[in-house]
Amino acid sequence: MTLVSDTQAAVVHPKPQSARFTVSVPAVVLWTVILFLCLTPFLLVLAISFGQKIEGASWEWAFTFANYERVFVGANWPEEFTALYLQRLYYSLFYAVIAALLAILTAFPFTYLMTRLSRRAQSAWLVFILSSLSLSEVFIVMGWDVLLSNRSGLPMVFKETGLTDWLKANGYFETMREWGLANPRNVKFKTSVFATVLTMAYLVWPYAVILLYPPLSRLDRSMIEASQTMGAGPWTVMRTVILPTMRLPLLGATLLLFVFLLGVYVAVTVFAEPAKQTMAVSVYEAVRGNTLNAPFGSAQAVVLLCTAAIFLVAGQWISRKSAP
Amino acid sequence: MILRVISHVFMALSAVMLALPIVVVSGAALNSGRSMFFPPREPTLDRFYEFFVSEPVWVNAMTNSIIVAFCSAALAVLLAWPLAYGLWARGSRASKFLAGLGSMPFALPPIVFGVGLGFLWSFTGVLGSLWAGVVSHAALFVALPVVTISIGLQSIDRAHLDAAATLGATRTVAFRTVILPQTLPYTVSGFFFALVLSFNEFIVMFFVSASSYATVTLQIFNSLRNGYTPTMAVAAITFITVSIVVFAAIARWGDLPRLMGAEPAKN
Repeated sequence: MTLVSDTQAAVVHPKPQSARFTVSVPAVVLWTVILFLCLTPFLLVLAISFGQKIEGASWEWAFTFANYERVFVGANWPEEFTALYLQRLYYSLFYAVIAALLAILTAFPFTYLMTRLSRRAQSAWLVFILSSLSLSEVFIVMGWDVLLSNRSGLPMVFKETGLTDWLKANGYFETMREWGLANPRNVKFKTSVFATVLTMAYLVWPYAVILLYPPLSRLDRSMIEASQTMGAGPWTVMRTVILPTMRLPLLGATLLLFVFLLGVYVAVTVFAEPAKQTMAVSVYEAVRGNTLNAPFGSAQAVVLLCTAAIFLVAGQWISRKSAP
Repeated sequence: MILRVISHVFMALSAVMLALPIVVVSGAALNSGRSMFFPPREPTLDRFYEFFVSEPVWVNAMTNSIIVAFCSAALAVLLAWPLAYGLWARGSRASKFLAGLGSMPFALPPIVFGVGLGFLWSFTGVLGSLWAGVVSHAALFVALPVVTISIGLQSIDRAHLDAAATLGATRTVAFRTVILPQTLPYTVSGFFFALVLSFNEFIVMFFVSASSYATVTLQIFNSLRNGYTPTMAVAAITFITVSIVVFAAIARWGDLPRLMGAEPAKN
């Protein structure tokens, strides 16, 4: 028996039912390991989200929806409605959507231009982008923190170059204060929505390039050349040839970045104001932080997971509907 | 013509933007004092000595990071091979399902997986052991070698397999003489992708370490509250250097554009 005839047999003549379900020891081991490592953690989170906390101790198994109730309507429902955790979820979505769109919109033209380069140049760019992609969140946050901090970063540059005075003289300074981007003396970026979104977009920008790279580099050149010979300008080519074929990859990439950004923790704790923290942060607070309420943390994690799943399924559905 | 200039400027600007925080952190590593300044004051290399040799906190963290990265990447490759091979050789619904399960941790928000692994390890009583950390990262990153090895398997010329079969090679011999050598570069790439990402991973490790040991990224995060020190910047330089070396090596000896999904190069 050779591998080839085996695979061909499998493709051409499906083996009888009994033969297909023969279990070998390695297969059982593999299934067990993968199920144990990749599925049980999620199942445990789901199971524990129905548990309850014991005051002054840890938690116990139970079947209560109290944790979900607390996420969606607050602990004192129905006497009182609190939207604290819904607000956290809102900020999770808010940051993730803006940062994902920002990253895609800037990465798309970049990746398009990159795929026009020679294969050697592409390799060099990819090394640079992959290095930046793999760089830990903590280092990236550290870098932007130094860049945006009041004593050493951009605010200093603004002050030294006289940009702050120029902003003040022209009345833009008041607008920036309204947006929370300035204190009475100078501009400030920490803590602000701007800094959070900027860092998050930076965090996923290399991912955006990597996700858009395959479809853009496989783009049919003959179509572009044909439209150019028929006299289409670069913008027309972009609008009528490239964008329509790239619609699905763009949507898919945006969704993946969005899902990734839902779980961002370090950037949000450092750059977002206490009132504008996200659900990922409160998952941490409940599981590892001061409150030590694992079931409540799990419930929030499940909500986060479901949000991610809804968007991914919706994306799948859209792409299946619009596929020819 | 103007469009050409604009595109060059745009690409240059993107590169600057991408490099900016890295350059700032790296520059700050040269400071001689305890605070981060950019540009550095009284540049010195003492911080490198501290990070690699004299400060036990950082030396331990670095050792842990290296152990976790190498062992988890090796484990991820070992797990990924049968998954990718099953996908390629059988392509059955079961093998697709299994490979899908394997890539789930990587595709969903890592914080949820981290929380779940924290529960799993505390139930099995190994929470906070370094080996639990190794296995956690292997599970998180198994998706990467699955992808690279699958690309490698797809690039195998079926004619070679036919030739091997005609010459009477058994399944094992064909595997050893045709499949393994042709997919080796892709396996190695997968190993290094997992290695570099494990090296830099933070949130899952944060939950599974349960504060009983620290990797470099954890140590950096723990030190955030006391402000940045130039020693932390040395860590950043080390990490970015490792990444660049690894990916440059993959680009040099492998086909990076193809691994990233471009069409196979025309020879």
